[in-house]
Amino acid sequence: MRQTYGKLLPGMRISDLSGKLIVIEGTDGVGRSTQINLLKPWLEEQGHAVLDTGMTRSPLAGEGIRRAKEGNNLGRVTQSLFYATDFVDRLENEIVPALRSGFIVLTDRYVYSLMARAFVRGMDSKWIRSIYSVALKPDATFYLRLSIDQLVPRVVFSRGFDYWESGMDLYPGRDMYDSFCNYQTALLVEFDRLSEEYKFVVMDASADAEHLFEQLKAGIFNVLEADSRKDFISTRETKTLSISAATGKGKIAPASQSTNPTEFELVLRSIMAHATNGNGKTALHHK
Amino acid sequence: MEITSGNGFGPFEVFLPAHSAAPKYQQHRDGEFPGRLFIVEGIDGSGKSTQLSLLHKWLESKGYGVVFSEWNSSPLVKDTTKFGKKKKMLTAATFSLIHATDFADRTEKSILPLLKAGAVVLCDRYVYTAFARDVARGMDREWVRELYGFAVKPTVAFYFRVPLETAIDRLLDGRNGFKYYEAGMDLELSDDPAESFRLFQGMILKEYEEMVPEFDLTVIDATLPIEVQQAQVRRIAKAHLDQAMNVRVQR
Repeated sequence: MRQTYGKLLPGMRISDLSGKLIVIEGTDGVGRSTQINLLKPWLEEQGHAVLDTGMTRSPLAGEGIRRAKEGNNLGRVTQSLFYATDFVDRLENEIVPALRSGFIVLTDRYVYSLMARAFVRGMDSKWIRSIYSVALKPDATFYLRLSIDQLVPRVVFSRGFDYWESGMDLYPGRDMYDSFCNYQTALLVEFDRLSEEYKFVVMDASADAEHLFEQLKAGIFNVLEADSRKDFISTRETKTLSISAATGKGKIAPASQSTNPTEFELVLRSIMAHATNGNGKTALHHK
Repeated sequence: MEITSGNGFGPFEVFLPAHSAAPKYQQHRDGEFPGRLFIVEGIDGSGKSTQLSLLHKWLESKGYGVVFSEWNSSPLVKDTTKFGKKKKMLTAATFSLIHATDFADRTEKSILPLLKAGAVVLCDRYVYTAFARDVARGMDREWVRELYGFAVKPTVAFYFRVPLETAIDRLLDGRNGFKYYEAGMDLELSDDPAESFRLFQGMILKEYEEMVPEFDLTVIDATLPIEVQQAQVRRIAKAHLDQAMNVRVQR
């Protein structure tokens, strides 16, 4: 049975959440969104309905946070609470309804990122944990980890320094490079601590995207295997996936099932098509 | 913190200790700052805003540096709150969190720094409003109190106590209709906004009464004439200002 970290929000039923909540965590620039963009079609190919969500994407607070970050006057407590508002709006209106409908929810960051950011900004641990005690415990958290010296070229050479990613509100160093290194190092310390506490599955994000994708597929496959719905997935596909996951040599492109579906898959697809408004897109996906 | 270096970047050993930047979050107590914080609470129609504005005038006339901060007024956050209310998309939880965000911004930008600077800060509604409303909406009592753990404890928290019917009579005189969240329509207590408002305010009143001993609120009988109430408010405020002569500014 699904659980929260301690408190249940009013009106929230969690006894019948049959979907899976899968978290992709990691600091800025480790390739989370690249992986989610690979995982979503892969899961859909297998007949799972997928909702992907992530920080600041709530209809309620996303825009307000973006506007607040454009200025230079967003305080630390305010920032933590604005993000909490964004999270709870998505939890109540997207994540929980999707899980109830049997979706796989792929979330780009979860409360752990919010906690790490708040801790680095000096927020009280008990305070932050109390706020996020209303969060659902996920089925798995995959932590894509890069050390600071691997992170620097990835972020900086691709998109340059960002004020917030460099923690300029915290570490006004001589330049953004110094700030970035200080801030991301501090975040990494918090992530590593949270990783132990919350039993993240740690994955080396320095591997190439395809190799990382195979690792994530194997990890998610383990989560799904523990689920009763695994019976809907054909044996042949199951076999292919576990082999490719074990050898790490699988292709990113889905195997031939899409052109030659089994009877089971056809049934499953029709169920899922119904559950997703018949257009193959997740009804709850709002971007 | 061990920092690896393997791809030509580095050395990275020169980094400063990572945790030195942020001052620790702390809970603030009365008397910690030279300023004074007076706040007013009570259900709608209790007359608290009238009393606060009279106190404001008096303090200014006495030469104090006075600053006023109203519930739900942060320039950074209020558009989001307004949007959520207009679209009726706030739940008990997001209603609670967005108001806490608004309060945090005002605490960080005006209430706390101004108290440090020695001002007299006046707040129309404070954390007790959130405690009353959010709990009436079904939020966990302890969770909401913990949420506002960053708030400064007021020097005096005035609670304007008024019977429900008196407050509603005062309100009905001056307006037509209630707003959706104001009337607690989201709680689905009644389809009639006036009836919903009455029931919701009753629940809030009950929460306020329970908070009087919990937070040592200073109760003012809000059925008394305005002048009598104001005299009491000024007398109580003055007792706290006498100990803080250093906040007096020259005119």
